[in-house]
Amino acid sequence: MSLLEVNAINTYYGDAHALFDVSLRVEHHEVVALLGRNGAGKSTTIKTIMGVMSPRSGRIHFAGQAIECLPPYKIARLGVQLVPEERRIFGSLTVDENLTLAGLTAPNRWGNERAYEMFPRLASRRDNRGRDLSGGEQQMLAIARALVREPQLILLDEPFEGLAPLIVQDLIGVCRQIASEGRTIIIVEQNVHAALGLAHRCYVLNNGHVVFEGTPDALRCDADFMHRHLGV
Amino acid sequence: MNWPLLWAQLFNGLTLGALLVLVAMGLTIIFGVLGVLNFAHGAFYMVGAYAAYAAFTTTKSFLIAIAAGAIVSLLLGVLIERILIRYFYKRPHEDQILVTFGIGIIMVEAVRAHFGGIAQRMPVPKWGEGAANLGFLYYPTYRIEVLGIVAAALIILYVALYRTRIGLVVRAGIEDQLMVSMLGINVTRTFLVVFGLGSMAAGFAGVINSPIVTVDPEMGAPVLVQAFVVIVIGGVGSFWGAMVGGLIAGEILSLTSMVLPAYSNVMLFAAMALVLILRPQGLFGVQGRQ
Amino acid sequence: MLRLRTAGMLGRWLPELAALVSLVLFPFVFPIIGGTFDMMDRILIWGLFGLGFDILFGVTGLLSFGQAAFYGIGGFTTAYLLISGALTNAVVALIAGTILASSFGLIIGVLSLRRAGIYFAMLTLAFGEMFYFLDMSPLSKLTGGENGLSGVPPAAIGFGILVRTPEEMYWLIALLFFMGFVLARRIVNSPFGAILVAIRDNIARVGVLGHDVQKYKLTAFVIAAAYGGLAGGLLGLFQGYMPPDAFYLETSGQLVVQTIMGGAGTLIGPTIGAAVWVYLRSELQQVDAIGGLWKMVLGIVFVLIVALLRKGICGGISVLWRRFTATAPAPLPGLAVDSAVAARARVPATVTRKRSTLTGPIILEAKNVVKRYGGLTAVDDVSFQLAEGEIRALIGPNGAGKTTFFNMLAGTVPVTQGEIHFAGEQITRLGSTAVCQRGLAKSFQINQLFPSLSVRDNIRISALGRRYGKFYPSMLRDLRHDADIRQATDEAIEAVDLSDCSDAPAIELAYGEKRRLEIGLALATKPRVLLLDEPTAGMSPSERAVIVQLLKHIAAGMTIVIVEHDMDVVFGLADRVTVLLCGRKIAEGSPEAIQANAEVRAAYLGSPAGK
Repeated sequence: MSLLEVNAINTYYGDAHALFDVSLRVEHHEVVALLGRNGAGKSTTIKTIMGVMSPRSGRIHFAGQAIECLPPYKIARLGVQLVPEERRIFGSLTVDENLTLAGLTAPNRWGNERAYEMFPRLASRRDNRGRDLSGGEQQMLAIARALVREPQLILLDEPFEGLAPLIVQDLIGVCRQIASEGRTIIIVEQNVHAALGLAHRCYVLNNGHVVFEGTPDALRCDADFMHRHLGV
Repeated sequence: MNWPLLWAQLFNGLTLGALLVLVAMGLTIIFGVLGVLNFAHGAFYMVGAYAAYAAFTTTKSFLIAIAAGAIVSLLLGVLIERILIRYFYKRPHEDQILVTFGIGIIMVEAVRAHFGGIAQRMPVPKWGEGAANLGFLYYPTYRIEVLGIVAAALIILYVALYRTRIGLVVRAGIEDQLMVSMLGINVTRTFLVVFGLGSMAAGFAGVINSPIVTVDPEMGAPVLVQAFVVIVIGGVGSFWGAMVGGLIAGEILSLTSMVLPAYSNVMLFAAMALVLILRPQGLFGVQGRQ
Repeated sequence: MLRLRTAGMLGRWLPELAALVSLVLFPFVFPIIGGTFDMMDRILIWGLFGLGFDILFGVTGLLSFGQAAFYGIGGFTTAYLLISGALTNAVVALIAGTILASSFGLIIGVLSLRRAGIYFAMLTLAFGEMFYFLDMSPLSKLTGGENGLSGVPPAAIGFGILVRTPEEMYWLIALLFFMGFVLARRIVNSPFGAILVAIRDNIARVGVLGHDVQKYKLTAFVIAAAYGGLAGGLLGLFQGYMPPDAFYLETSGQLVVQTIMGGAGTLIGPTIGAAVWVYLRSELQQVDAIGGLWKMVLGIVFVLIVALLRKGICGGISVLWRRFTATAPAPLPGLAVDSAVAARARVPATVTRKRSTLTGPIILEAKNVVKRYGGLTAVDDVSFQLAEGEIRALIGPNGAGKTTFFNMLAGTVPVTQGEIHFAGEQITRLGSTAVCQRGLAKSFQINQLFPSLSVRDNIRISALGRRYGKFYPSMLRDLRHDADIRQATDEAIEAVDLSDCSDAPAIELAYGEKRRLEIGLALATKPRVLLLDEPTAGMSPSERAVIVQLLKHIAAGMTIVIVEHDMDVVFGLADRVTVLLCGRKIAEGSPEAIQANAEVRAAYLGSPAGK
């Protein structure tokens, strides 16, 4: 049984049809990349999985349980964690408080120290308020915050967006480390090469439809496809 | 220059300001977290005072009266949040104002029906009787104690917000409710606590203030208005705004009554108008928080 | 022919006629259920007060808890002038009271409208209380303080007529009420009124369509103050005594409660609510079980109405009426079939647009534009020149700054550094209203329509801005007879192919139709340059094809900047393409050149890992 099964979901923004019968699955310990242009529906898919939006039709199963109608806090408690596109760390709380807050309702939670071991840069900023961190540090905090809950599934929504190349390299390293620890990850990215470097499998979305499912190698082989669906 | 009078009025301003701070805090926390401007806030202030009055006439203990006032307003706040307010979170702000306004009317009339419309007197407690010698001034003991009580309450509030887990959730919730939810926390349950505590703050202020003013069903309305003025001056959703705004408001009321007694209330509104012209978001408010 | 015309006229004037008939019959019908002239007079005075308040709250959407201030000002002014003998004619005194109330309305309005929404409600409540305190203390010599002003002489309204008794008073009040009602109806149906209604529906969009929203709101506020002042004056005349409770918060509150109970936005809602309140108050007090609890009962009714029957009694009646005269149920939004899609989908897209030769003058220019948010630089030194008649596409990955840059061109986001010139004039800090008036219009990525208005009424808001400028307080002109507006509206509706559903409320349209309306709103301002923010966002392939066709038709003779992600749309439409990445312009040229540009490909695909 797959860890996550999304079956033919249709999500709307008001009455704008954003996802058309989108289906995907994620196995335990896999890293799956969700690719596509702006507005293709990648973030919408992630948000639907996390319960931020409800699909009008279709089903989502996580570890065998139907979650398409559950509110976000229940889905989080089942073991899914979203690292949102805008990071959404709490600017008025300190780094330490951000981490503490994250673990409040988690049965097995990391102590904050473990998070600092993984992200030494955050340790030196532990008493700074979230709003005083740089973009890269905020992204690290957002990821650390997700890890604190020991989630079974991590959803990374455009983790490399708007960050300098060096920072992106750092973060790719972090993602490699998390993946090598056997965590299941879905990564949504516009930076196709970075995402493909991390993923075992990938899906490509275009205008709310799934147009490709396969391995990164298979995708890379089809240059014409890449051109048509992913870029200029 | 009549120094004793000036000192007395400055202290009066502090006392008055302290109570306004407490009421405004409750209002601004409810607004900051729930996004609801509670037009029934003045009614909770009144309910606290009446609960205390009822407890006092039965037990003759001021301390029990304080507890009664606080607990009744807490429970009433929780009850009203559960049966009514929670259905309005997704409704436009205007509807939230209207429903809390209506609840306020009901509360006032219910109290009037039970206790009658005549003003009651709440005596000053034994430990608050007389005047204290401060050196430069003789000042009513009770009013000094009020300052102490409110200071203690604010410290407790500070500790609750900044040193407890629920305080952490509240502060995060003010900033980004959805993200708190995505971290596995049931935010709506927090709302219950926030509304209850905010109402309790108002009720507590009502109890504390009752020996100084008379207790009547309409006592909450001027307080509600003054709390609004404090928030406009201080900035909505800001704790420092409620603190500083409250103290400034108290001093304006008090000092003006020394010089131009007829205009003391009007001055407060003039100050509000001034803030509106020069800095519409309030002293500590965030710009663009329209 | 004559019969049809009379029937049409009858339909138009039906509310006024109904009001007239009701006012005449009221004194004969009401006593049957135990009503008195005293009650009737009070009901109509509240109703008059409510006419103005409903224009402010029901129509424009501004909730004020401080109307008692103007009620009191008008009332005490009228009373004082008559008691002191300064004036003998009651009508003149009423006018004086109304003028003074309106003047204060202007001052308080300017102060209170510096904030919006709930803050505005708080401020009006506070200022209302301020007048209460002024009445009680500093001015108590003039106003009688807690005692009020007694001894208002019987109303001398000229021609030697003296109005004394409640019965006689009724006819004076009813006359003034009727005049007030006719005027209020006129205001609501005027160009001015149409903007007020739009403000309630989507205030942000009204501004962007070229209207000075603050001035409209302020005028509505003054109107409400005027009606309040007149009603207050009548109260003093009617009672022979001006009570201090005219200034009470309770009075402002009662006005709000009555309006909600009767139904806001209907103009007669406040009157109906007042009738319920006044009547129930007298009846409930006589019931043993209730007695003094009448106000609590009314409070409970009010809360129930806010919770369950938000549109009040009038709303409830109209719901019943609609069910009674049931037509086919309205289609669910989103599932409605887009008429144009159905029609056009069968016709292949064959209109090709010739690439413009781009020799026109530069009409829109951005010079070294920068946008910083605190430490984050969203747009970094972008310059760009747009020739008249050109179609430019603006592309770039998420977070590239294109929406921010776009919004700066449209004036909806202020510029940190740099300049923007339009048709030779600097528009950098003018704001979106002024920019729209100069001929630069924007359509939004997420629909910003007026949901409760019909397609026609939506477009009309744009046409009004174009025709009458940013502030046109014409309250007596009947918009329904405005031929210029009608023509402009029809043209714009034609242009976006929405003639089939022009009377449908915007909220009921299919998504593709809504997108077309969104473009139509911008188009109807007759801009010289059109800014389109992802016009095909959220569309299915068939809807997309329709929009592209539409844009090709519009493009002839128009200058357009379009933000897009769909490369097919870009290729089909654009003359030139500008590419943004991380806030900077990295490439600019023909679509083919951009496609071949290695740097652009890298930007979209991201650098390979490890490079």
